[in-house]
This record gives sequence, structure tokens and C-alpha cells, in this order.
Amino acid sequence: MAALPKILLVDDEERFRNNLKKMLAAEGFEVAAAGSGAAALEELALKPYDVILLDMRMPGMDGLATLAAIKERHPDPEVIVLTGHASVDAAREIIRLGAVEFLLKPCPLEEVIAKIETAYDRKLARQEKS
Amino acid sequence: MEKKSHTSPLLNLFHDLGGNLAVYGTALGLVILAVPLGLRAGPMYALAAGLLAALSLVTVGRVLRQKDTALRQKELSDEQLLQSQKLASIGELSAGIAHEINNPLAIIRQEAEWLLQLYKKDSPPDAQETQSGLAEIVNQVDRAREITHNLLNFARRSQPVVQGVELNRIILDMTSLVEKAAQQKNINLVKRLAPDLPLIESDAPLLRQVILNLLNNAIQATGKGGTITVVSEAADHRQVMVQVNDTGVGIPKEHLSQIFDPFFTTKPQGKGTGLGLSICHGIIERLGGKIIVTSVEGQGSSFVIRLPQALDRRGR
Repeated sequence: MAALPKILLVDDEERFRNNLKKMLAAEGFEVAAAGSGAAALEELALKPYDVILLDMRMPGMDGLATLAAIKERHPDPEVIVLTGHASVDAAREIIRLGAVEFLLKPCPLEEVIAKIETAYDRKLARQEKS
Repeated sequence: MEKKSHTSPLLNLFHDLGGNLAVYGTALGLVILAVPLGLRAGPMYALAAGLLAALSLVTVGRVLRQKDTALRQKELSDEQLLQSQKLASIGELSAGIAHEINNPLAIIRQEAEWLLQLYKKDSPPDAQETQSGLAEIVNQVDRAREITHNLLNFARRSQPVVQGVELNRIILDMTSLVEKAAQQKNINLVKRLAPDLPLIESDAPLLRQVILNLLNNAIQATGKGGTITVVSEAADHRQVMVQVNDTGVGIPKEHLSQIFDPFFTTKPQGKGTGLGLSICHGIIERLGGKIIVTSVEGQGSSFVIRLPQALDRRGR
């Protein structure tokens, strides 16, 4: 991997968001965090990101709606869904909308990092092709 | 159905006769009338009339059996529908529980992982950071505990403890508990209690839980300077009625049908389990009553409980 990916973390649960941001930053990643789908879209309009970690159940614009809006406006970053919701139907819909990975909370930091790296590799490979 | 086709047609006929005497009686009457009438016109007519009458008898039998079959099939499919609805709601419930528990677990895991990282370093970790992490673990365990305890309450199907209950007393006790919270938001708490309300047979602690829950919801929904009105009155059919009305934010139309569903909440993460109203609903049903909600978004909500004066103990 050439450089470390820029990560945007979207989760309405403040403590979870801040913890993960702190932990990923300690691993050397450049991380920004957003507390809602709308905030995530604002952030994406300002700066490019490589990998987005996206929660599903959020008040207001939920994860699925956010995912659809991200894919429409910013197709470049890879999206990893990180959720506590265990519905298979939701997972299918998530993959259909173009997320690359699905992680169920709670999961070890190592797993999150491994998924981020895979997603980033995939993004780089996609860019090289085009 | 399969079984019936193996029994003799005569037995079937007798079986049907029992249940549909009027229809078969008419058909048999036709047979009895047709033959003598036919005989007057000649034996050929008598034979034809007899055959026609017998045919009508057979047709009646067939139609009735088809009606029976259709009815049984409908019952069967109703049962299957109910079963699949039950399975679907169990599925939904499990996904809801998983989500509600997974979130606190995720944070607990983060805090513990972070603490482990801190202790791996050579220098001793910052005391404040350690404390904050441990306190958060306790917080999140409490959050998960609230969910599991509420679920246990929800699932508990123990017999209500039935006694003579003075509903107005319960309302006064519970409103006094929330008076302070109402004052803080400058909410006008109005009680319109019928003075001659009859004693009811019910379970006082369960009713307290329901009324307190409705009052707390009303306070949360109502803005500064709003009004909450609690009404009690005797109702038709030997029932009593309690209303908790508020002038709060109201419930959007699309949420009204889900308001009593377990885990349905519009509150932010970790702020509400979405079990309160579904527990209230369960309690009132167990006490032989009904709870309904009406609401206009932006104008307020009204929860109406109807309870029987005397509890029917059968099947409870």
C-alpha cells in the first residue's frame, strides 16, 4: 500500500464515533468523523476521501439513503458499512447500492483496519485501470 | 378432505344431513312430491320427476360440501398467515434486540481495546483517560441492562395481582412524581378526575407503570408553556377511561401504526429503548383493557386507556 487512506467515519453514536476516530488516528490513518448522513455529504463536498465507514441506523437520513446519495454524488470512495443491525435483507440492499464490505458491530479494531485496507487496495486498483 | 372421499357416499349424506336439515328437507320434500305428481301424468313423467328430484338432492350435497371445503381452506390459510406474521415479528424483534445490544457492546469493546493499548505502553497511562474509559464501560453496561431488563418485563406473563384499585389515587400519585419535571419546563399539568369514579379490579403497580410512562412521554413531547391534561371518567359497558393529552410535538401519521411496536423509537441512539409504549400496550391488554392513540403532528397527542371495572379471569 502506497499511502494510508483518508477515512470518513459516519455514525450517530458520539462515543463510538470519537473512539474509533481516536483509535484509527493512533494507527496513523487520517480520519474525519460525521454524526449524520447530511453531515457526511457536506464533508464529502469539501474534501475527497478514500474509504467511508458508514453506520446504518441513524435518525433523519438513514444509512441506506446516505449510501445512495454518496454513490450518486461521490462515486470514488469505497464504502464499508459498519452496523449493529443484523438484518440479511438490509445487507443485500447495502451490497446492491454499492457498498463493498459489511461489518457487524461489535468487531475488533484489527478487522476494521483489514477491511479498510482491502477497500483502499480495491479503490487504487480501480483507479489504475481507468 | 382426502379422508372424506374414502368414506361411503351414504355416510357422507347422513353426516351432511345432520348439519343442513333445512336444505336437505326441502330437497327430500321435492322428491316426495314429484313422484305422486308425476304418476298422475304417467309413469315416464314420474320417473323423470324422480330423477330430477334425486339430482337436486345430490347437487345440494355437493354444493354444501364445496362450501365446507372452502371454509376449511380459508381457516387454514388464516392460520398460516398468522403463523408467518408471528415469525416475521420474531425476526424483526431479534434484529431489533441485536441492534440495541450490539451498539453498547461495540463501545465497551472499543474502550477495553483502548485501555489494553494504553497499558501496553511503557509509561503508565493517563489516569483521567483510564477513568473515562472505565466509566464509559459501566455506562454502556447499564444501557444494555436497561434493554434486557425491559425485555424481561415485556416477556413476563405472570398473573396480574388483582385488587380493588382507586384509579384516581394512582393518577394523583404519578402526577406528583412528574410535577417537578413539568414545572421546570413551565408545563401546565391539569387533572380532570371524575370524583365518583368506581373502584376497579386491576393491578395497581402495573397501572402505575403505564400512567407514569405516558406522563413522562407527554412531558418529553411537550415544549415550554404547553399543557398536559389527565382525565379520568366512567365509561360505557362498565368501563373506566383514563386519558393523557398533551399539546406537544405530536406523532407523524406514518409513525402512528408503529408507536406500540417494540424498539420503535424516534429518539437518538442510546436515549430510548423503544420499549416503553409496547410494554404499556402489553400491560393494558393483560388487564383486559385497550389503549389507543390519536395525534396531530405539531398539535399534540392523546393516549386513551379503557379498563374494565371487573376483571374477567378466564384465560388470564
